[in-house]
Amino acid sequence: MAAYALLRSMSSSFSSVLPLLSRSGSLSPAPLAVKPLFRRTLASSSRFSAALKFTDKHEWVRVEDDGIGTVGISNFAQEALGDVVYCGLPEVGTQLAQQDEFGALESVKAASELYSPLTGEVVEVNSLLADKPGLVNKSCYKDGWLMKMTIAKPAELDSLMDEAAYERYIRSIED
Amino acid sequence: MLQLRRTLALLKGETGNQLARTGSSLPFLDSANNSSGLVLQSQSTDVYQNLALEDWIDAHVDLQQRGILLLWRNQPAVVIGRHQNPWSECNLPAMRKMGIALARRRSGGGTVFHDHGNLNLTFFASKKAYDRKRNLKVVTEALRRLRPNLDVRATDRFDILLNGHYKISGTASRLSRKSSYHHCTLLHSADRSALSTVLRPSCPGILSNATPSVPSPVANLIDHAPSLAWEELLEALVQQYNTEFGLSSVFTLVDPSSECVFPGVGNISTELRSWDWTFGRTPKFRVETLLELRDEHLPARCSAQLQMEVKGGQVESCRLDVPAGWLPLWLSRQLSDVLVGERFCPHRAAAAVTAMLRAEKGQFHSRLNNLCEAVLAMMG
Repeated sequence: MAAYALLRSMSSSFSSVLPLLSRSGSLSPAPLAVKPLFRRTLASSSRFSAALKFTDKHEWVRVEDDGIGTVGISNFAQEALGDVVYCGLPEVGTQLAQQDEFGALESVKAASELYSPLTGEVVEVNSLLADKPGLVNKSCYKDGWLMKMTIAKPAELDSLMDEAAYERYIRSIED
Repeated sequence: MLQLRRTLALLKGETGNQLARTGSSLPFLDSANNSSGLVLQSQSTDVYQNLALEDWIDAHVDLQQRGILLLWRNQPAVVIGRHQNPWSECNLPAMRKMGIALARRRSGGGTVFHDHGNLNLTFFASKKAYDRKRNLKVVTEALRRLRPNLDVRATDRFDILLNGHYKISGTASRLSRKSSYHHCTLLHSADRSALSTVLRPSCPGILSNATPSVPSPVANLIDHAPSLAWEELLEALVQQYNTEFGLSSVFTLVDPSSECVFPGVGNISTELRSWDWTFGRTPKFRVETLLELRDEHLPARCSAQLQMEVKGGQVESCRLDVPAGWLPLWLSRQLSDVLVGERFCPHRAAAAVTAMLRAEKGQFHSRLNNLCEAVLAMMG
């Protein structure tokens, strides 16, 4: 409740704080309790701007505000795989070209190769997956993301499918 | 040479004039023309060459309109899954003593033992046509046809059980861009005592997220069908493969070491044979164990605590807690420092500690030597 009041009192300066937050990612003077509220606002606004783009190999990529692409597999792919028991992910610093193999997911004795949706450098891998590979099944678009990469050739994004096109593609291969 | 050219043409789906002229005497060419099935049998018993052949076919042959069945067997070898830890899956010192090779395949799944009494079947197909249940049905139907009394069934985990209990076949697969392969073992007359000797961990105290194997009681087909001959089994499998998929494939022998037929296959097998692939690709792991120490000159004993982190097959960090009364702290620290950055491999680590052991001439030489031996033994 106190946090709510605080937020209201800050609302006048909200518009000036937001760009600052998204640029630097830090807001040290703000009390801790306010942070989650800020973050939720930020997340919903970036979800609006950063749409998912899909490959025909069922990987998705979402370009965040900082220009970094988060990569995962689609719901169709995770359903086809079954329970993921191990995620073989690349080292941070690996340079990938579009469509390069970047690892493999193991499920029910099958190793499924992963293909990079874009050209760029791996800057982070999802360390939660080491202990909880099942996140890929439970939350393939959120907590079960695989890696983050720089985007060396933004034009490549145009070759990927948006959600509507991907849905049509899924229907076409299911037929 | 004619055999080689024939095979190459087959894989490429070519119908060269020279080959077409001899078509009538080479009935399998007709099936190639129809873009239908192909059954290959490897002439090699080298595990690395055979695994390389699988990856070569997966990468180079158009499998969109065609299925391929590859039959192969190996000299004694232990084959681990893509994301497994060899130190926790198999007994490396025993394998060295027995001359048994270790290989890591690119497919998932658990560890298996191969020898001349074990048949491997690889079903290649488009990703769309990938169907492990159907492939295993080829095996179970062939066995039922051969020996109607055999109770063989595929499980939900894609094993084949005999009499509802004994595993006679294990499965693994790899899915690539457009293609797939599913391979399975089939125990006909394998050396079961060697199998149980080598499929034990070398190293105690490994903590890891690597895919673990599920140990199962195994049986050989000949234990339950003593008259079942190898050739008879192969023939029935080929026949059933053709029946199941409506093909008329004919058996063709191939040599997976032939660069002329499979250009680039040598590089694939070289990679599969390398330490970096077999051991280096092990998922990051941690070892926490107690080392028993003794002093040859005194009837004294003690134990040390070892904590090690291994990434990419290399020791990333090492902590040895040895009671200070047994060995000075600086010596055990020095040993830890020497090991960091080295391969988690007894030969490499031994070479690394040699200089340190040579330099320590004092009263602690024997105890340090004993500690080094205990650490090296733990590395398998």
